[in-house]
Amino acid sequence: MTNLERKHWIRALTAHPASVLNALADELASEFDVKLKSLPQAGLGLLTLTDGAFHEPYYLGEFPLSSCSVELSMADGRTAAGGAHVMADDADLARALAILDAVVAARLPGWERVSAQIDAGAAIRAEEDRRRRAMLAATRVDFAMLNNAENDDDEG
Amino acid sequence: MSYVAIKGGGRAIAGAAAVTEFLRTEEGLSETLAEPLGIDAILHQLRHLVDRVVSEGGVYHPKFAALAIKQSLGDTLEAAFALRAWRSTRPRLLATPPLDTSRMRLIRRISSAFKEIPGGQMLGPTPDYALRLLRMELMDESPDAFRAVARAWLDSCPEARLPDSFPKVLDALRAEGLLPPVTGRTQAAFDITREPLVFPVPRSAALATMARAETGSLLAVAYSNMRGYGDVHPTVAELRVGYLPVMLPHPITGEPTEVGEVLVTECEVVAMYEADDAGGKPMFTIGYGACFGHNEVKAISMAILDRALQKGMKDGPGNPSEDPEFVLLHVDGVDSMGFASHYKMPHYVTFQSDLDRLRTTQQKSGEPA
Repeated sequence: MTNLERKHWIRALTAHPASVLNALADELASEFDVKLKSLPQAGLGLLTLTDGAFHEPYYLGEFPLSSCSVELSMADGRTAAGGAHVMADDADLARALAILDAVVAARLPGWERVSAQIDAGAAIRAEEDRRRRAMLAATRVDFAMLNNAENDDDEG
Repeated sequence: MSYVAIKGGGRAIAGAAAVTEFLRTEEGLSETLAEPLGIDAILHQLRHLVDRVVSEGGVYHPKFAALAIKQSLGDTLEAAFALRAWRSTRPRLLATPPLDTSRMRLIRRISSAFKEIPGGQMLGPTPDYALRLLRMELMDESPDAFRAVARAWLDSCPEARLPDSFPKVLDALRAEGLLPPVTGRTQAAFDITREPLVFPVPRSAALATMARAETGSLLAVAYSNMRGYGDVHPTVAELRVGYLPVMLPHPITGEPTEVGEVLVTECEVVAMYEADDAGGKPMFTIGYGACFGHNEVKAISMAILDRALQKGMKDGPGNPSEDPEFVLLHVDGVDSMGFASHYKMPHYVTFQSDLDRLRTTQQKSGEPA
């Protein structure tokens, strides 16, 4: 079982191509009765930021958003709820992620495969984060090294 | 204002679209093996162009922004227009809770106010210190050389032990009592996509309008303030560029869950200090700017104008950049390009009316018609 908390699964899974996630979800879903608790839909989300000066909310802009909630039922009576919001213009992807979410959360058959994809995706994200940190580390600058005379010359 | 609708001319209009498409693909006539511009190539190699379009289009969809750039042959105004047209076809599903930019995964962070800031300064990707000389070696860059550059850079990077987030410079100044306190206002922000700007408008409307403003327009008005038609005199307390996790409640658990991330540029400026009307000690004034994508000129311009508009809203505008109506109604690229472009449309009726009136006026004044 992945060590990642549920709130990190979407970021990890979406490191993989949508086609991979859709195929896995379709394959696993063939074992369950999939009931849509909320229809897969694609639209927009509105991004609310807290401004850095006075900490007041404002809208920076919009972003593509898809969402879906499902309930999976097995022949033995077990059920599991799953859901997903994902920053994508792809309702099928949201449905797939909701199914995968439910499968792992309830450890339904096939959860190990999803869990492995979560861990693999987390590794991809970790590499992205490493590259970003490298951009920072490679360009760290210590302006305190400037002596006062140089600093005065440099000021605009 | 009125103008006649176009009747006929359908063949010419279709022909104009075909000619434009011909120009886009004309390279294919050459002997060399021409390839269409790939969306991924635009996304990565023209990333600042994409950043402008997501910002000015008001929708963080880099892939569609790249598509819009491709179909508009690189015209940023047309591309932003296409992106906005797309967004107008999509339903609004929900809004995020207010997100805190201190959680951004930074790739750049600088301050011009202090040599040292908590967490340190990191230049990241910037042309600030580069010589503006043409790099002739890129004229004929081989695919092998192209691929080798990124690999070599990555291989040369040591493992970096850095925190995931960094404190804000403004927070340190505020803790010293040098800045006004946060307002703590939590009322719903103004949604410029749903509500018209009827003045006076709240600051959240100004911030949202400037966040999707056209970069050059915002810069021009801010520049007027910098040059003398204003007195903000900003110091950049902090400018940061990074990826902000977009958090939404999980549909089942309700727990904040990362659904994606957006690249954001954010700038906080400290400006001239002023006395406290309530008799408290004087404090610096502050301005704030942010936009989708990596666009520092836009974020700085917005921060300056935020401060200028705060002053104008409080004391009345002393110059154009302090006038909310002047600034906010003239910085939107799609609005302004639409108005400019509409002059190309047939105005036969209105101009005929102008002609008639001029001829009549000339006859009445005794001049030859």
